[in-house]
Amino acid sequence: MNPKEDNAVSTATPQAMIKKKGSLQRRNTLIAYSFLAPNFLGFLIFTMLPVLFSIVLSFLNWNGGTIDRISWAGLDNFKLIFKDFNFTRSDMGITLKNTVLFTLATVPLTIACSLGLAMILNKAVKGAKFFRTAFFFPYVASVVAICVCWNFLLMKFGPVNQALSYFGINISKSWTQSRDHAMLAIIIVSVWRHAGYYMVMYLAGLQGVPGELYEAATVDGANAWQKFWRITFPLLSSTTFFVSIMLTISCFKIYDVVAIMTEGGPGRTTKMLVSYIYDLSFQQIKYGVASAVAMVLFVIVLLITVVQFRAEKKWVNY
Amino acid sequence: MKKLLSLFLVLALLLSLSAVSFAGEKKVLRVASWDTLTGGYLAATETAFEEAFPDVDLQYVDIASQDYFQKATTILAGGDNVDVIDIKELSDVHNWVEQGYVESLDPYVEKDQYNLGNYLGLENNYRADGALYGLPYRSDFWVLFYNKTLFDAAGVDYPTNDMTWEEYAALAEKMTQGDGIDKIYGSHYHTWLSAAVCWAVTDGKYTLADGHYEPLKYYYDLVLGLEDKGVVQEYSELRAANLHYSGVFYQGKTAMMPMGYWFAATLIDEKAKGTFDFDWSFVSVPHHPDIAAGSSFGSITGSAMNKNANDKDLAWQFISWRASEAGALAIAKVGTRPGYVSESVAQTMAAAEGFPKDDNAKAALVPTAMSLEWPIGEHVNAIKTIVNEEHTLIMTREVSVEEGIEAMNARVAEVIGQ
Repeated sequence: MNPKEDNAVSTATPQAMIKKKGSLQRRNTLIAYSFLAPNFLGFLIFTMLPVLFSIVLSFLNWNGGTIDRISWAGLDNFKLIFKDFNFTRSDMGITLKNTVLFTLATVPLTIACSLGLAMILNKAVKGAKFFRTAFFFPYVASVVAICVCWNFLLMKFGPVNQALSYFGINISKSWTQSRDHAMLAIIIVSVWRHAGYYMVMYLAGLQGVPGELYEAATVDGANAWQKFWRITFPLLSSTTFFVSIMLTISCFKIYDVVAIMTEGGPGRTTKMLVSYIYDLSFQQIKYGVASAVAMVLFVIVLLITVVQFRAEKKWVNY
Repeated sequence: MKKLLSLFLVLALLLSLSAVSFAGEKKVLRVASWDTLTGGYLAATETAFEEAFPDVDLQYVDIASQDYFQKATTILAGGDNVDVIDIKELSDVHNWVEQGYVESLDPYVEKDQYNLGNYLGLENNYRADGALYGLPYRSDFWVLFYNKTLFDAAGVDYPTNDMTWEEYAALAEKMTQGDGIDKIYGSHYHTWLSAAVCWAVTDGKYTLADGHYEPLKYYYDLVLGLEDKGVVQEYSELRAANLHYSGVFYQGKTAMMPMGYWFAATLIDEKAKGTFDFDWSFVSVPHHPDIAAGSSFGSITGSAMNKNANDKDLAWQFISWRASEAGALAIAKVGTRPGYVSESVAQTMAAAEGFPKDDNAKAALVPTAMSLEWPIGEHVNAIKTIVNEEHTLIMTREVSVEEGIEAMNARVAEVIGQ
C-alpha cells in the first residue's frame, strides 16, 4: 500500500470520515437520479402533468381555446354527467353499465382460458413450444387486423354463424350489428386476444409449483381435480391476483376493439366509458365534462384495486 | 474506414445545408390540409399557385382525413405557425372562432376590395357574429352516379335529372340482376347518415338540428324497402365488412349510387389509371314529390387564416387566390367542383378529361337549390352523435323507424334543453 494514502486515512478525523461517507452517498444518489432522470422527465411531462391537469380540469369549464377561456365550474361537470342518471337512457349510465358488464365477463373468462392453456402446455405435450407461440400470437398481432378478421368471421353468412347452424343455433345477423350479440363479440375477441399473454404468466407461475407436492398427493390417492384445487390453484394465487388486477384495469380502459369492431353500436350497445370520454372531449370539445367522466373512471378503477388488495390477504397464499 | 465515414457525414451535412439555403430564397407558405399526398386538386392548386407566384414555396402539412378536426385543433392549440388551415366541415371553423384560433378576413377583404359575389352566398356560412373567417374553394353537393355500361347492357334508359324517389326506386329494382356473388344491385347506399336520409334537408327549410325527425321517415322507409327487395346491399352487412363505396362502384356491382360530387374527380382519376373500364355519368339526385327537381344538399370546403400565422399577408394571398376564378379554374381542370361559380368554371369542369360527355351531366353540375348537410349551432356536435347512434339502430333493424325517430326526438330534446 502507498504510505501516503495510509497516512491520509490514519489522520482523518471521525467527523471527516462521516462527511466523506455522506458525500459518497450523495454522489451515489445523484448518479442514481441522473440515470432515472431521462425516463422520469418523460413520465413527468407526458403522463404525470396531463393526469394532474385532467384532475383540475374536471372542476373547470373549458370548451377548448386559449387558457383565458377557462372558468371555474365547481361540481357542475359532475352534476351534468350524473343528471337523470339511469342505466337505460343517460350516456353515463349506459357506458358505465356496458363497461362493468364487459369487465365482469372478460376477467374471469380470460383467467379461465389462460390458466387452462397454461396447464395443458405445461405438460410435455408434443409441439408445446409451437402452441405457446401460437397462443401468444394474437397479443403481438395488430389489433386492427385481428378485429377486421373477427368481423368477417362473425358476419351474417360468416363461418361462425354457419358452424352454429349445424348445432341448431341460427343467428340471422352479423354479430357486431345486433344488440344481442355485439357485446358478446367484443368479449370473445378480447378474451382471445389476451389469453395467450396471461398464459405466459401462468406458465411462469407453474414453474414454481414443486413436483413433490403432486407426488405426495398421488400417494395419498388424490385425483386430478383435487390436485388442481388443493395444490395448483392455491399455489398460483399470487399470479391470479396479479393477472386479475392487470385485466380489470385493461378492461376498464377498453377502447380499440370497440372502435374498430362496432364503433360503440348498434346505437349505444357497446359504447364504453372511454368512448364516451373521447366523444365528449374530441367531438364535442367539452374538456371539463370529459375530464369529469375520466375522474369517475379513475376512482372506480382505484376502488376496485384497493378492494382487491384488501381481499388479497384473505385468499392469496405464498 | 472511419475517415471515409466522417467525410461522408460532412458531405451529407453540407448538402442538407445547401438545400435549406436554396429553399430559403423563396417565401415558404404552409397550408394544413388532408389527403395532400394523393394528388388531385391539391396538387393542381400547388402547381398553379407556384406558377402564378414563383417567389412562393407552397408546402402542405398533411393531417389524416379521418380525424382532421381533432388533429387540426391540436395543431392550432399548440400554437403552430402554419399559415393557412383548411376547413373540412363547417363546424370546424366555428369551433376555431370560438376558441380564438383563427383570424377574421374582413380587413383583408376590405383592403383588396375583394369581390365575394361568386359563391352563391355560401361564404356567409363562414361568418360568426357577422365577421368572415373563411373563403370557400370547394363546394360539393350530392348527385346520383350511374354505370352507363350496365344500363346499355340491360337496354334500360339512363336515369334523368328530374326523377322522383319512387321513379328512382322502380328503376333500381329494374336494374337488379343475378344472384349470389355475381349479383348486380340496382343502387348502393354507403353507411353514412347522409347517404340514406339527409335528403330531408333538400327542401331548404328543414335542418337536422331542428330537433324533430319525422321528415326522415319517408327516406328510411324507402331505403329499408329497397333492402327488403334485395335491390341494395344490407346496411348491417356493409358495416360489418367495413366496405368502402368506391370498390362497389369500381367493380360494377351497382347500377346507381347517390354520392357526393367529389367522387367524380376520383372516378376520372381511377379510370385513367385503369382501375375500371366501364363508362359512368351522373344526374341530379332524385327528389321528393313536394320538393323541386334538382335540389340537393352538400357541403363547402374552405380555408382560414391561423391567428399565429407566420406570414399573414402571404396567407391571405393564397386564400384569396384559391377562392378566385384563377384558383377555381385550376381545381376545375382536375374535375373537382370549386366554390367559385361562373360560366367559364362550369365549362372548364365539363371539358375536364374523362368528364361524362352527356348533356344531363353538364346540366346537373348546377343544382337548382343547395342546402347544407348540417347547420351551424351550439349543440350540433352533440346532436350529430345522437342522430348517428339512433340511425345505426334503425338501419340494423334493431328498432322500428318510428321507435328510432321517437328516440332521436327525445334525446335531442334533452340536449337542446340543457
